[in-house]
Amino acid sequence: MLIDIRDLYKIYNEGLESEVRALDGVSLTIDRGEFVAIIGASGSGKSTLMNILGCLDIASYGEYYLDGTDVNEKTDRELAHLRNKEIGFIFQGYNLIPALDAYENVELPLIYQGIAPGRRDGMVMEALEKVAMADRYHHRPSEMSGGQQQRVAIARAIATHPPIIMADEPTGALDSKTGKHVLEILHRLHGEAGTTVILITHDNSIAATAERIVRISDGKIIYDGTKEGAGL
Amino acid sequence: MNISQAVKMAAKSISSNKARSALTMLGIIIGLAAVIILVSYAQGQNLAMQRYYESMGTNKIQIQAWCWRGGVDVSTELYNYCLTLDEYVKGVTPAQEVWSDFTIKYGVKTLGRDNYETRPTLYLGNDQFSVCNNYAIAKGRDLSYLDIKKENHVCVLGAATAQDLFDMVDPIGKSITINGMPFLVVGLYQAKGSGQTEYNEDGSNWQEVAMTRLDRVILTPYTLNRVLNNNQDIEQYVAKGKDSESTKMAVALLNNFLAGLIPEDYGYGQAYSEDQYQESQNEANAMQQRFLGGIAAISLLVGGIGIMNIMLVTVTERTREIGIRKAIGAERRSIVIQFLIEAAMICGIGGIFGIGVGYLGTLVVGKLSFDTILLPSTGITIGAFAISVAIGIIFGLYPAIKASGLQPVVALRAD
Ligand SMILES: Nc1ncnc2c1ncn2[C@@H]1O[C@H](COP(=O)(O)OP(=O)(O)OP(=O)(O)O)[C@@H](O)[C@H]1O
Ligand SMILES: [Mg+2]
Repeated sequence: MLIDIRDLYKIYNEGLESEVRALDGVSLTIDRGEFVAIIGASGSGKSTLMNILGCLDIASYGEYYLDGTDVNEKTDRELAHLRNKEIGFIFQGYNLIPALDAYENVELPLIYQGIAPGRRDGMVMEALEKVAMADRYHHRPSEMSGGQQQRVAIARAIATHPPIIMADEPTGALDSKTGKHVLEILHRLHGEAGTTVILITHDNSIAATAERIVRISDGKIIYDGTKEGAGL
Repeated sequence: MNISQAVKMAAKSISSNKARSALTMLGIIIGLAAVIILVSYAQGQNLAMQRYYESMGTNKIQIQAWCWRGGVDVSTELYNYCLTLDEYVKGVTPAQEVWSDFTIKYGVKTLGRDNYETRPTLYLGNDQFSVCNNYAIAKGRDLSYLDIKKENHVCVLGAATAQDLFDMVDPIGKSITINGMPFLVVGLYQAKGSGQTEYNEDGSNWQEVAMTRLDRVILTPYTLNRVLNNNQDIEQYVAKGKDSESTKMAVALLNNFLAGLIPEDYGYGQAYSEDQYQESQNEANAMQQRFLGGIAAISLLVGGIGIMNIMLVTVTERTREIGIRKAIGAERRSIVIQFLIEAAMICGIGGIFGIGVGYLGTLVVGKLSFDTILLPSTGITIGAFAISVAIGIIFGLYPAIKASGLQPVVALRAD
């Protein structure tokens, strides 16, 4: 089992009147090589769950085992390595560094991985080519459209060839054609490299391409199964 | 991530955020240059003051004494008394200025009342005048005992006066006239001042001007008092103490002696030393230096606040950036090292420019105010550099230390 979470809670402002239970007792297991779509209404807790799965946030309560080891026990350094090598995270809001151009943004995780400069260049351009942004490698985020920024963000996530890709609304900012293209990239990584893909989307047609659907409502998993069972 | 990679990343960050980097550097440059220039100015002032006092001579005892009751030869009595003070006093001389108008001529050149600037002070003195007033012979010889005794018509010229009268000609052995009487030039004094006769607008070079005034002198034997000064009483004397303790002692003894020599209702006698005045002047100077030091500290602070401001204004942006870096796998250590190197580079470059501007400014100020090559002291330079770099590094590091410990999503949400 690659991902194993048990009875996970994320509670903001606990004990206050403004308390929000973004995750309210979630248990979920995902195997290596799966392609999972997480769906649910806005504010249902999808991003919160994904952030915890991506080791970008910690749960208030509950356990999280990644590849059999307890994430809560890991040091800051070990978590950094996990985020760097194991997980490619695509944010809902792109999160590119504004002062760096496309190339430099994609290069960053490779630098932190300690890959030699000579090898980086090929990896960066390969990733940019996959998202059809190679010709814009010298543009800064402020010089790109939302969709282009999203594609650079995807290139950054796949550049290190991580075994897990987590994508929070990767097609949200894209037109249907580019969206389809991005989806193809994820499916190809899944098919060819056996990459585990976890994807958040509110687009049913995109969710329908996944083998497994997880539906969240008010911080709880209300459905976990095939797309047919989910009525897609 | 290794160090060379961190350096590259820091350099990248600096060049990608030009405005932020430039403003930070500017803060450091201004703060540092201001400190260096102000402190150097204060030190230059001190130096000028010191040179001025040295040129005047330390341990100089000025004596004013006259007696209009017949039978008291103040000059001789004073001289003889000073001989008994040889434990404390190196010499004594009449130093009578000739107050009335006089005209000095050499060829077609004339010095006198018509031109205030070049008008020298005409002194009547003896063979110890030079020692007592801290003049050194540059050329020729000083007045001799025989000159005094035989009432020789000889004179010694101050450097500026020699220049005024003779220009390029060697004055030694030449004959000038004072009020028509021929005088042989036997010696020249070394210059005390730099030749400056104009005050700066701010008057900061008054010492230089005053010292140049001291180079406009003519010394003649006091025994010519009759022919040069209408035989008016000699009232001004100068003695030279051996050291500051002896000077104090000698002043007390001389005052005592003068009180005994000159009956209260028939004259006046007082000895005093300017050393005390100098001491209070030094104190005022030290105070001014502290004041300028304070201003310097404030400018350093202002520069520091400028740096702080820029760093803090960008802290949100930087916190987000740190969130992104953490999210894609940067270790805390890498982030802190990158920010440290970045701050050190900005501050180092800014600091070097600041020192450059400070040195240039100091040279300009030194030239304009003191007419010397003034250079900042290394201690001040290093100290100010260290402080401004430290401020820059602390505030450059602040977001890194604060944000690199956060969960990535928390840093990403910063606003
Ligand atoms: N920092 C926070 N403080 C308080 N409440 C928060 C915070 N972050 C998220 N929440 C709340 O947690 C809940 C879940 O948020 P989350 O971002 O996971 O929703 P989502 O399912 O991703 O929505 P969307 O589809 O709009 O992206 C929301 O009600 C949100 O208001
Ligand atoms: Mg979301």
